[in-house]
Amino acid sequence: METSSVTITGTTTASHARGRRSILIRRFLANRLAVTGSILVACIALVCLLAPLLTSYDPLEMMVQDRLKPPGSSHWFGTDDFGRDVFSRVVYGSRISMLVGFSVVAITSAIGLLFGLYSAYYRRLDNLLMRINDGLMAFPAILLAIAIMAALGPKMSNVIVALSVVYTPTVARAVRSAAITVREQTYIEAIRALGGKAQRIIWRHMAPNCLSPLIIQATFIFAYAVIIEASLSFLGAGTPPPEPSWGNILNDGRTLLKQAWWMTVFPGIAIMITVLGLNLLGDGLRDLLDPHTNKAKR
Amino acid sequence: MNRTPLLDVKHLRTRFPTERGEVTAVDGVSFQVYAGETVGLVGESGCGKSVTSLSILRLFGKHSGTRLEGEINFEGKNLLTMSLEEIQKIRGNRISMIFQDPMSSLNPVLTIGDQIAESIIRHQGASKKAALEKTVEMLRLVGIPSPEQRVFDYPHQLSGGMRQRVMIAMGLSCQPKLLIADEPTTALDVTIQAQILDLMLEVKERLNMGMILITHDLGVVAEVCSRVLVMYLGQIVEEAPVETLFEHPKHPYTVGLLRSIPTLEGNRSEKLHVIEGMVPSLHQIPQGCRFAQRCPYADRLCFDQAPDLTEAGRDHKVRCWHQDKLSLEGGMELAFETRERRETLSG
Amino acid sequence: MGKYILKRIVSLLPVLLVVAVVDFIIIHLTPGDPAAVMLGSQATEEELAKLRDQLGLNLPIYSQFGHWILGVLQGNLGWSIFMDMPVTQAIWEHLGPTVSLTLIAEVIAVLFAIPLGVMAANRRGSWMDQSFMMLALLGISLPSFWIGLNLILLFAVQLNWLPAAGYQPLSSGLANHLKYLIMPAVSLGIMQGALIARMTRSSMLEVLNENFIRTAEAKGLKLRVVTYKHALRNAMIPIVTVIGLSFATLIGGAVVTETVFNIPGIGKLIVNSVLRRDYEVIQGAVLLIAAAYVLINLLVDLLYAYIDPRVRYDKS
Repeated sequence: METSSVTITGTTTASHARGRRSILIRRFLANRLAVTGSILVACIALVCLLAPLLTSYDPLEMMVQDRLKPPGSSHWFGTDDFGRDVFSRVVYGSRISMLVGFSVVAITSAIGLLFGLYSAYYRRLDNLLMRINDGLMAFPAILLAIAIMAALGPKMSNVIVALSVVYTPTVARAVRSAAITVREQTYIEAIRALGGKAQRIIWRHMAPNCLSPLIIQATFIFAYAVIIEASLSFLGAGTPPPEPSWGNILNDGRTLLKQAWWMTVFPGIAIMITVLGLNLLGDGLRDLLDPHTNKAKR
Repeated sequence: MNRTPLLDVKHLRTRFPTERGEVTAVDGVSFQVYAGETVGLVGESGCGKSVTSLSILRLFGKHSGTRLEGEINFEGKNLLTMSLEEIQKIRGNRISMIFQDPMSSLNPVLTIGDQIAESIIRHQGASKKAALEKTVEMLRLVGIPSPEQRVFDYPHQLSGGMRQRVMIAMGLSCQPKLLIADEPTTALDVTIQAQILDLMLEVKERLNMGMILITHDLGVVAEVCSRVLVMYLGQIVEEAPVETLFEHPKHPYTVGLLRSIPTLEGNRSEKLHVIEGMVPSLHQIPQGCRFAQRCPYADRLCFDQAPDLTEAGRDHKVRCWHQDKLSLEGGMELAFETRERRETLSG
Repeated sequence: MGKYILKRIVSLLPVLLVVAVVDFIIIHLTPGDPAAVMLGSQATEEELAKLRDQLGLNLPIYSQFGHWILGVLQGNLGWSIFMDMPVTQAIWEHLGPTVSLTLIAEVIAVLFAIPLGVMAANRRGSWMDQSFMMLALLGISLPSFWIGLNLILLFAVQLNWLPAAGYQPLSSGLANHLKYLIMPAVSLGIMQGALIARMTRSSMLEVLNENFIRTAEAKGLKLRVVTYKHALRNAMIPIVTVIGLSFATLIGGAVVTETVFNIPGIGKLIVNSVLRRDYEVIQGAVLLIAAAYVLINLLVDLLYAYIDPRVRYDKS
């Protein structure tokens, strides 16, 4: 509750904050897994940004004479049945995964924070919102996503909408439970008794304490979003071809499993690296920021 | 006392790793416990008294990295060198422990009967039925009403005092020779405390056990113990029979502890005494006397060199450079002097 | 105890209502004319009007919901346009494989996860703990369908030990049934197994720090008894929650796995219905699965009461 005592007196001295931050950074760097995770995520982010520099092939260009070539010096990951270079398709596919992941995290964090905070503060609203939350969380994530995609039609932007609907309740719940612990502290009662404004209490006192759980959740949601985007595209309900997404490359490869294993293996490894990186990072952040699990591990 | 001691602890050192490096929580502790006697182990929290008691049965998790040195001889065997299987046969059987908080020390999802009986089954090879009968008998012994029904209760259905009685029944179920009680009454309210202490004394007499009573409450010590060990920062600073300790304490720390006992006598007008300063961290053990920083009598020697535990009379040992010069009794105004001296000497 | 169960059931009603509303709204989000989407561009205006009428699309949305929910309460989930049969019948015909698949996957997950999680917790920090937990982390990082594809590559294409896809019902013999379901179940169960193993480990670590574990050790009990009788039973409470949740995730995951292995279950039915735009089937099947999840959660709650006497006595 260090942060809460700081916020109430409003005496966050710069040196204090800096000291605390440097301790956090040092602890983070000491966590080998978390560092590995951030390196993996950084690598994928670089691949996604530098895609045109990494490959000389257009991911959509069909070279009929080069159909189903196994991995070799000219095509590192081989080619697919249209003669497209699998390496450049996987490289460009990272852009879809990252875009979907980022957008979903941004949308769910914003809406989830709003719902979570107000729900924690206003009891009556809480009752309603949490019932809706429970209802939404009763659907298995991928099934809800598929149902929404069925209604909206296969399009990348619709994947973002669907996953935002699926994961906003998760964020809202995490934010709410963190905010409630703050709300129930005596000093909040004191501020309220002294006529403190609701908005100020919510944003000045409750919101800062929800940041850690929000960041942790966001990391894991990014990971889930990458997996579910791939699953939806694999089923033909996500990013439609010919645009390369890891999921639809796998879908193309499925029928050619016997002839072209490389169409299945490489995009899968790309998904694995991304999601593993995010999970490692999420675990690391949780160890770092969540005092409860910290205690349990000692 | 010329008999062989029941428990003979020699130069016990207990170290364990922490985030900020290894600490020595118990540093060269030696003492004996004889059959039929009650030894009090007192000191502030963090002085190593609980760690000492856990060291006797080696009750540290396998992965805690705890290192134990020295010897703990019990019935002719060194507990520190025996195998895990051997010491498991002693735990709960020849030596039992009773812990501080009876709520968290009982398993919430098992009935109290099950928890007592499993000890009997383990050590005496009793059948389930025989063990259950014995359990009921033990519960009756520790004064639990209608034990035939209570055996099937879960811990949360009992009051705090009843839970501690269950803990005692569990500890005594195999008639141990030594009972280690770690703050057995701290979590209980005052009237229950007295009942529990009486109960423990009574069964101790009946079974002729040795007992180690760990507490920070000198009032309890005065009532129950025959001999007292005062610990400070991992070491014994004074050892004496209980009357000697209360009437002629030789260590300034003991005096401090004695004067912090609240009394009910109205004529004591002075405020409750508090020992100045804080217990130093185990990470930064002073090179001289460990108590020097808080001691009103400390001089250069105390800050430079650590004193040994030396004889100070019959059955009386003290770890202080000035034990002969000091005549310590109640009533001295120690607090102010302490602060001034500490500032001039350590600053 | 009976009162406790009743209370829990009553508290589920609002959740079920929200589930139904959400399910209904999602399907009616479809932009444009669902009848036109279903019948395609060649449909005549007459056919469209007939379908609209049949689907009740001319009614206001709330009365459409009213009709639907009344039907649902009477066990009528709608009509499959594509298969030309009641949705309930379509679901019934596809239920067996999904139930079998998810049950086998759950059993595999729990059977491996709990002992591994316990072992890891007992040997915290050892190489075994670290490698188990690395494997578990890998397990939650791999999409199940990709694991499935790799299993097919290895065991069907390379080694030719198992059939690459397809399904045989239990009535064809247990061995035959399992032969077709083992790969799908493994690929589906790995992620949940990994999650359960992680939860088991962290829950065990928390419990192993408790005072009553020290009491059990002070009684001289053997490590095995301390671990399984004293620690695991307490640690089971959060583990049971994860297992309950995992059931729902498995049913969801079955959608993808059944497509990979071409298993004629609910998942395949849903995916096919999405591609065929057979909306009432999607609506019905999704509702059923969500309702199943809510009921599983109820069972989990009741299981708590069995594991933890404090719940049992406080609430009864």
